[in-house]
Amino acid sequence: MNANTTIELTQFLFEMTTKSEREWLENKTKTNVLDLMTAFVAAPRFLSKKNISYDDKVKGNLIPHLPGYQVDGWSLVHLARVWLLLQIPQDPKEDCIKNIETLFDTAELNELVALYSALPLLPYPWEWLSRATDAVRSNMGFVFDAISLLNPYPELYFPESAWNQLVLKTIFNRKPIHLIYGLDRRKNKELAISISDFIDERFAAGRKIPPQILRLLTPFSNEEHSSTLIRMFASEESGEKEAAALVCFESKEPKLRSLLANHPELELSIQNGELDWSKLESIP
Amino acid sequence: MCQNPNEPKKNPSHFESIEHSEDTPTHRDLLWEDYENLIQGMRFFDPHIHMVSRTTDDYQMMAKAGIVAIIEPAFWVGQPRTGLSSFKDYYSSLVGWERFRSSQFGIKHYCTMGLNSREANNERLAEEVMEILPLFAFKEGVVGIGEIGFDDQTVLEEKYYRLQLELAKKAKLPVQIHTPHRDKKRGTERSMSIAIEHGLDPSWVVVDHNNEETVKSVLDQGFWAAFTIYPFTKMGNERMVSVVEKYGPERIMINSSADWGISDPLAIPKTAALMMQRGIPKDVIRMVTYQNAIDAFAKSGQIDVKDFDLEFSPDPNAKFHGNSVLRGGQQPVINKNSLFIQ
Repeated sequence: MNANTTIELTQFLFEMTTKSEREWLENKTKTNVLDLMTAFVAAPRFLSKKNISYDDKVKGNLIPHLPGYQVDGWSLVHLARVWLLLQIPQDPKEDCIKNIETLFDTAELNELVALYSALPLLPYPWEWLSRATDAVRSNMGFVFDAISLLNPYPELYFPESAWNQLVLKTIFNRKPIHLIYGLDRRKNKELAISISDFIDERFAAGRKIPPQILRLLTPFSNEEHSSTLIRMFASEESGEKEAAALVCFESKEPKLRSLLANHPELELSIQNGELDWSKLESIP
Repeated sequence: MCQNPNEPKKNPSHFESIEHSEDTPTHRDLLWEDYENLIQGMRFFDPHIHMVSRTTDDYQMMAKAGIVAIIEPAFWVGQPRTGLSSFKDYYSSLVGWERFRSSQFGIKHYCTMGLNSREANNERLAEEVMEILPLFAFKEGVVGIGEIGFDDQTVLEEKYYRLQLELAKKAKLPVQIHTPHRDKKRGTERSMSIAIEHGLDPSWVVVDHNNEETVKSVLDQGFWAAFTIYPFTKMGNERMVSVVEKYGPERIMINSSADWGISDPLAIPKTAALMMQRGIPKDVIRMVTYQNAIDAFAKSGQIDVKDFDLEFSPDPNAKFHGNSVLRGGQQPVINKNSLFIQ
């Protein structure tokens, strides 16, 4: 964790609190670690339930060494909990890990959300890797979102297989993949193969395809994808056609590029900058 | 106790305490079609039900019958737990998975936290549980310390009952008392006098599983009197109607305590329907099946009735804080009459 993080977060948090809330929080840092942990649990009893928001200038820049880390739209309780976690003494390491593990072990849903969203800020980040990959398996939507969406931790620490699982499960859960931090930076061939298989399965089942996911095929698209893309061009869903066009446009394979020739209007709108992947993003 | 599950006296099931086995079963066959019109538009709050033992079908029926919120007290899972981790996982499921599962069916889920009386007899484990209990008692949506009190009325049961009354005071939470199946009258009196001895305000204490023998004293001393409509072992709902006729609706509430035994998660709506049939005024029914439970447990500061409206929307694409509460692609209600499974 960057030493400045606490200072930046403290300043930001205290701007949002009333005097008595601030005093309650400050008092908790002066007591023992058990009180600090109980404060993490009891925060909603002492802090306002309001949501926080801040202007676009700050959005995603609150923590300079983690660009994109967002707290906009969090509740005050959520933010305070992350802050309280950063007050847990970091030394000795074993105690620090044990205390945070205890909070994980006893956490309810909102606490889990706070814990997972704090992962990239916590000390000893590698220690939380198995927790984080477990959270991707969660059936609780809020927990899944906390680790998968707008959280830099997976991009920074997940091995490829866990990363791919995260992306696939985001798609399976019908969540917006463009909110996965580092999505484009961690595209990989294995993932592209899984995506391609997934699309074929959806076709076979007669189900719709979330067009956005085709962005994961590039730059790994090849001739084998041509039949899939032809089917997508024939789809009645405009999004599926547009996604197919974008894949072809970005492909280095002449055969795939040539598929676009049958759809000049789509090619033109890509060239004019009217159509790009952001147009296919589902509602965040 | 609970160390040797083969020793029935020390580890009795719900069904071994049938003192009046000659009694006819108190539940009647009442199909949804028979009573749905009687309770149309009514809202119910079940302040005592163990959903961890129930199915999603139950949740669907409960929502359909008008149950908008429930309290799940921490209790006995049917066999003694052997280690702290089992307690941790159980408590976590009450505030985690079960709360989430409930929300999928439009039912607001609260819970009470406690070490139950049976397992209080395992002193080594009880000590460990008491250490982690505060981390759970202070959690969001925890509306009380419960269900605590007596089972066998042992010394250890009393020890942990008292310790948990103190925790309730510290956490500013109401207390939900489980009264014993055997020697109920004395157990109930003892629970109440100890609560008073510890300085608890009776209006912060819900005494559960009452019957005709205990209700008067509980009400006279200013406690809330909860009644469990549970076939064979506790109250029947026809008897319940008579209790309400006799004592009125003040500080009386009804619950199902439905669990892993032969119980009925629709006990409240069914009892409400029976009360309608017997001509009990609607505002009285509303108090004993909804409002009183809310008033008692809202002292925790953890109940906002507006949440009952927020949870559920029949639109599967609806989002709450930008997220769907449903699992991947799942819809809150499926058409069970359809031959096609899509």
